[in-house]
Amino acid sequence: MRYIEWLVLFVISGCGIALANFVGFDVGFMESLPGILVLLVIAALGVAVSKVIPLKLPVVAYVSIIGLLAACPVSPCREFVIDAAGKINFTAPLTMVGAYAGISISDQIKSFLKQGWKMILVGVFVMTGTFVGSALIAHVVLKITGAI
Amino acid sequence: MDKFVYPSLKARLKTEYKIYIAAVIFILIADSIGQIQIPLGPGQFILFPIFYALIMGVLSGPQATKIMKSKEVKAASKLVIVAICPFIAKLGINAGASLETVVSAGPALLLQEFGNLGTILLAMPLAILLGMKREAIGATHSINRESNLALITDVYGPDSPEARGSLSIYVVGGMIGTIYFGFMVSVIAMLDIFHPYALGMASGVGAGILMASAVASLTEIFPAMADQISALASASETISGIDGIYMSLLIGLPLCNWLYKVLEPRIGRFGGKRRQEKAAAADAVEEKEEQK
Repeated sequence: MRYIEWLVLFVISGCGIALANFVGFDVGFMESLPGILVLLVIAALGVAVSKVIPLKLPVVAYVSIIGLLAACPVSPCREFVIDAAGKINFTAPLTMVGAYAGISISDQIKSFLKQGWKMILVGVFVMTGTFVGSALIAHVVLKITGAI
Repeated sequence: MDKFVYPSLKARLKTEYKIYIAAVIFILIADSIGQIQIPLGPGQFILFPIFYALIMGVLSGPQATKIMKSKEVKAASKLVIVAICPFIAKLGINAGASLETVVSAGPALLLQEFGNLGTILLAMPLAILLGMKREAIGATHSINRESNLALITDVYGPDSPEARGSLSIYVVGGMIGTIYFGFMVSVIAMLDIFHPYALGMASGVGAGILMASAVASLTEIFPAMADQISALASASETISGIDGIYMSLLIGLPLCNWLYKVLEPRIGRFGGKRRQEKAAAADAVEEKEEQK
């Protein structure tokens, strides 16, 4: 995607977040604005970095790391970033993700129904296994290292 | 340079405008409904607007109400990545704000990555019991999101049974994963076996939308630890995003193949007896031909 395409799509996402934050949580557009700008700037930086750095990581990995850096204790804009992002409710950015994701798999209904109960059961085990496996190791290591 | 899907921004907007409008309408409806909490035993199962939007999205497609045509369906999957970036940025900020928690959990964060292999240990025996053959390897080697599917297709070829298995779980995960993940995580949280920090880390499985669903549930269940939980989930998700493919390729697939070899002859017969006999017959024919 071109930078301009990313930019316009990010602005559309920003509008979606503002709308969800308003409809769902009664946070006004102007109140959401700084937070949305912070999120979009970090997202845009992530995209730019992923295009410049030859190391091939998912865009979201770069976005996440830049978000962390922007809010970490040595960041000069730490307070502003944390305060602004705090105005955006946790689930507000997600509704649009759900809408897009739903549309993107809407041609798989028949294929899904064809899988049969066995595949669905295996799928449930796959998801459960990943989560429980990680939780188990994390819990044990946190206990051993005395973090909890 | 990159290959562009659209000749220009205008062409993109012209193709995709219907998706944007639909998304806005879905947000209006979904966020007006808001969260619904359903009491469940000692805890609760929480429905989030993302679930309603997802369902409306699925129903708008070419196999239901046909509002969206296949060109929109194709375009939407790229948009998911765009829309999830601001959310990932928010989680990254949470991780930076709670950096102390993240650092103190460092060893656990790194080691719990191996927990993603838990899917193999749990799901592979089941798949074999149910009579699956090589499909089981693709199906259970990982959580089977886009990058894993691409990996399996690359290693075994698009027409292989492994790729068929991987694709099946990809479809199942896409259709029910987001909602099931939130539900499953709530139930496990209620059981009170694992510390909420451990649950937060476990949420980062390398699939943004599943992580989002899990973290949304966890922060509702443990509001006092919401910041730390989302910080740990963000760190874990980022690490999974980086190491996921290597984990699958270097550890997941070899483990899968080994486990398949060990388990299939022992418990495979309970499931698809007829299929196995057929396969055995085919093997025998092959052997005969080899002897010739």
